[in-house]
Amino acid sequence: MTENQPKQVKSISQLPRIRLQTRDLGLRRNGNWLFQNLELNISGGNFVAVLGPSGVGKSSLLSCLCGSEKPTEGTVNFKIDNEEERDPESISPHLGVIFQNLRLTAHATVLDNVLYGRLGKYKLKETLWGFSQKSRQEAYTILEDLGIPHLAYKWMTQTSGGEQQRTAIARTLFHDPKIILADEPVSNLDTYYAGRILGLLRNKAMEEGKIILCALHDPQLINRFADLALSLNPEHPEGWRLRKVHG
Amino acid sequence: MNPKTTPLKSGQLPVRRWHERLNFLNVTVILFLFLTIFAGKSMLTNNRPADVAAGIRYFFNKFFPPDFSDWPIIFVSLGETFQIAIIATFISILLSLIIALGASRNIAPTWLVQTTRMFLNITRTLPSLIWAFLFVILFGATPIAGVFALTFYSLGYLGKFFSETFESVDVQVARGLKLIGASKMQAFRFGLWPNVKAQVWSHSLWMLEYNIRSASIVGLVGAGGIGMELNKAMDMASGFQKVTAILICILGIVILLDLLSQAIRRWITSKVSPKSISE
Repeated sequence: MTENQPKQVKSISQLPRIRLQTRDLGLRRNGNWLFQNLELNISGGNFVAVLGPSGVGKSSLLSCLCGSEKPTEGTVNFKIDNEEERDPESISPHLGVIFQNLRLTAHATVLDNVLYGRLGKYKLKETLWGFSQKSRQEAYTILEDLGIPHLAYKWMTQTSGGEQQRTAIARTLFHDPKIILADEPVSNLDTYYAGRILGLLRNKAMEEGKIILCALHDPQLINRFADLALSLNPEHPEGWRLRKVHG
Repeated sequence: MNPKTTPLKSGQLPVRRWHERLNFLNVTVILFLFLTIFAGKSMLTNNRPADVAAGIRYFFNKFFPPDFSDWPIIFVSLGETFQIAIIATFISILLSLIIALGASRNIAPTWLVQTTRMFLNITRTLPSLIWAFLFVILFGATPIAGVFALTFYSLGYLGKFFSETFESVDVQVARGLKLIGASKMQAFRFGLWPNVKAQVWSHSLWMLEYNIRSASIVGLVGAGGIGMELNKAMDMASGFQKVTAILICILGIVILLDLLSQAIRRWITSKVSPKSISE
């Protein structure tokens, strides 16, 4: 997806209708509530920035939304088109997560790690002896977009923190899920790549009707890219606030 | 901080009391040295008198020169020993990989870990010769008994080594892949296996080396291989020189295999385990 190529923008009617809904969501850790009674109703096409000071529970909220952590109370549901409401576990092939600690396979190459993004879409026998040339080429193109094609055959352990972060992002872009949960995805990147990647994610939301939830710290980046901003309040777990950033 | 520690001015490094400075590892080494000294002393004082010089003379007269006249039989038996070791190691690798998943604290629930570890402890407790003895009773004096004996013996070791390897890696990677849609097998194949395979290969080769040595011994109780020839030679009044010939052949094979396995291990490690950035 290089910038010179014309993009194929789907018309609104072609886009999948996605909805993320939380009801009375609350998480308690070490006796303290991180957030409580969280009611979200986010539709596709929105880039939502999750903000708040360190330790407020941004990562924990994203963990609850992707199903890696069980909330203390409340529910998380996803709805795609006219299907029934589904929990995070049953929607996992449509769910992309960029973890704060990246969770990349250390003893595999950068290209392999990107290819692992689409495991949910292949059967085991299709991936047991490696990936198809078409998939490999597609993954390589994404690495090119993110400025790290020269690392394709490098082992993960031979790359820097910023390169690893770009690999994790490439994995999610290759996965091409309907919902992307990103936990501080640009924390190790310079201003140019931070802007470029968040721009890419925002375009994904706008043009492909995806839901992007992204934990961010930088107010400038939030103002530039987010449609909505969800602020968590460390003093009042029930004092969360969802506001419009872009009209 | 210890409540009895003297109150300090702010910014001053707290001084640790003598027992807080004790290092468990150092204490263990000191204890081990003391035990060695006492054990050595007891062995020397309780020694039975023996004519060591006469023993050495007897050994050289009876066991040398080696008698290689039965070399075709020796080589066939060595081949059988090799086969027993290879089949037993292969089966034990496959079974240990499955069992090790159940014995890894970061993967399996506690009840399964404890049950599996108990099973592994039991299989490890019995020496290979005892396993061979048990399977010779079951299957008779055949190489199959040797294969079963070494498989069970290796399970105990490989299961432990593999589970420790699985425990040393970050399973969050595999869990992360599961969260984005990978099946359990895919999460294992792509999230865990790449990070453990160098170690698994290394342990497996070590086990193969070990099993070739053990396969030479299990024949002493009838479980096939060169050990059976060794037993026959020892039973014969004039067989001591044949025993020497067999032992030389075993030694040759073991040294050869040791060198070969070292080379293979180095090659595999360089292929599957990259150097870190600092190297």
